[in-house]
Amino acid sequence: MARETKSADAKLSHTAALILHAVDAGFIYGFSIMEMTGLPSGTVYPAMRRLERDELIRSHWERQSIADAEQRPPRKYYKLTAAGKITLEASRKRYPLLERLIPSEEAKSV
Amino acid sequence: MTPAFMPVLRLFDQALICAASLVVPNRQRAEWRQEWQSELWHVRRSCAPADCAAWPSEQRVMSFCLGAFQDAFCLRRQCMPLRLPRPAKQGSAAQCILALAAILFACYATALFLPGVRAERSLMVGQVNPGLVMIQNAGYSDNASPTIRPRQYKTWKARRQQYFDGFAFYRVESNSVTQQSALANSNASPWGVAHASTNLFALLGLPLRFADPVHNSADNLPALILSEAKWTREFAADPHIAGTVVRVGNRTARIAGVAPNGSWKLPGKADAWLLEPEPETTSGAGYVIARLTPAGAAEMWTQCVHITAYGPDDSQDDLLGVSIEDYRPSPWSIYLFALLLALLALPAITSVSLGESSVSPQNTSWTRRLTRWSFLSTKIALLLPIVYFASLDTAYAFTTPYSNASAYIQLVSTFALCLFGMRWILRDQRQRCPVCLRLVEHPAQVGQASRTFLAWNGTELMCMDGHTLLHVPGIPTSWFGAQRWLYLDTSWDFLFAGSLGD
Repeated sequence: MARETKSADAKLSHTAALILHAVDAGFIYGFSIMEMTGLPSGTVYPAMRRLERDELIRSHWERQSIADAEQRPPRKYYKLTAAGKITLEASRKRYPLLERLIPSEEAKSV
Repeated sequence: MTPAFMPVLRLFDQALICAASLVVPNRQRAEWRQEWQSELWHVRRSCAPADCAAWPSEQRVMSFCLGAFQDAFCLRRQCMPLRLPRPAKQGSAAQCILALAAILFACYATALFLPGVRAERSLMVGQVNPGLVMIQNAGYSDNASPTIRPRQYKTWKARRQQYFDGFAFYRVESNSVTQQSALANSNASPWGVAHASTNLFALLGLPLRFADPVHNSADNLPALILSEAKWTREFAADPHIAGTVVRVGNRTARIAGVAPNGSWKLPGKADAWLLEPEPETTSGAGYVIARLTPAGAAEMWTQCVHITAYGPDDSQDDLLGVSIEDYRPSPWSIYLFALLLALLALPAITSVSLGESSVSPQNTSWTRRLTRWSFLSTKIALLLPIVYFASLDTAYAFTTPYSNASAYIQLVSTFALCLFGMRWILRDQRQRCPVCLRLVEHPAQVGQASRTFLAWNGTELMCMDGHTLLHVPGIPTSWFGAQRWLYLDTSWDFLFAGSLGD
């Protein structure tokens, strides 16, 4: 609980908040976040490393069988943690335009 | 773009990812590379489909791959927190040695560029041969006056001598010197030209610069030796001056070399030396240099000796032979003398003890003692050349070369630098921890001077690495006369946890 409070209090940069918001909106791997936010790979992936270090997101590998079935390599997916959700809520108050940049509806339709 | 390039570009992209993965810490490298290769596969499929390869899409793929480096560095920073450069330990032995080496380099470099030091060095090269005397008339008290007539010189030279086996003659005149190729320059100021016998420089053993024996033997022109000052001023320090034909008065001569600055220390100020087989005139007086035979040298009890010689008309001449060996001390002998004086005076201004005694039973190992002595030796070895070069710098920075003032300044500065330098070395050594050779710090006054005979009074200093504590008595007493080291055991470690971790 203390950790969550601390994470919620942490002030994210706009870029980090944007990426967190993108993950929450359903863009759950690096390249999709790049495409959605327009940020380069050199920004998105390091930001995701930091978010994962701060336990705001967590990653997991796709099952090999699914990747094999689609004849592609398995992907690493990212998901918001509970602390990440709290932090995102705080960030939305701080950056109210985030919602407009990545509307959730668009994510759902993808 | 031709499809033939596609495999090459793909390989290049893979190589970029692999190169970036080398930055990632080893335990995370495989997973990191797998993620980036997977993402690259999707990026390539999205941006550059196999059936329509295009340069812009390949650029996008490549820029994606270049981002891997930033990610790799980010991951590395996360896993390996940035280590701040370790600050150099204040007062460490290495720091002290480096500082001394830097000072030595600065003093040496300064000495290299000071013209006075360079001139003195060239003078040391141009010492005259030993066993030479200048013969002059005993009736003249001033040995700077020319007193020997050319006829006398010719007579002595022709006769067999018991005490001398070589004679050289020179006589200084004012002559105009002009280059043969140049127009006659009537306005040129006359030079002091020493008309000398051809063996003058050989007898004296003086060095010549730019000497050219090919030109000298090419014709029968007399050789002209230039002083370095005239060579610099009149011939623009031309290194190819040897062989140039000049007019000296009404004679033609060929320049045979340049005499270095300071090499000429005999009476008679000469700008050039015209070497002739025989003195042309029989009038006028000059100087005679003679080389002593072993029998003659044995008769030289003092710096001058009375000589009775027979003149051309069998008259007896009362002469004086004055040694022309350079009795002016060289900078090196001044340095050694001042060094000896300073070492003798050192105990008067500081204790020569190194303060090795200890209040705890623990003794330092022989390797530590060897290190301590090596450090002391290195400091002394660096100080001695520092003193030498610094004293030369001081002596010749503001004085002209070959002046007595420079010798006195060098003597005083060598003495002072050596005395206080050695004092500093000993004091520095006494305040260095015997274990780590680091200077002890944080002096703390303990006790009161008025209670010296009731309790301990003095200063305590501490090694910041936690090895030792130094007790320095405020007033030396019969039971605590000199400083002592207290070796700290492991129970003190908690106090120095921070510094030990450095």
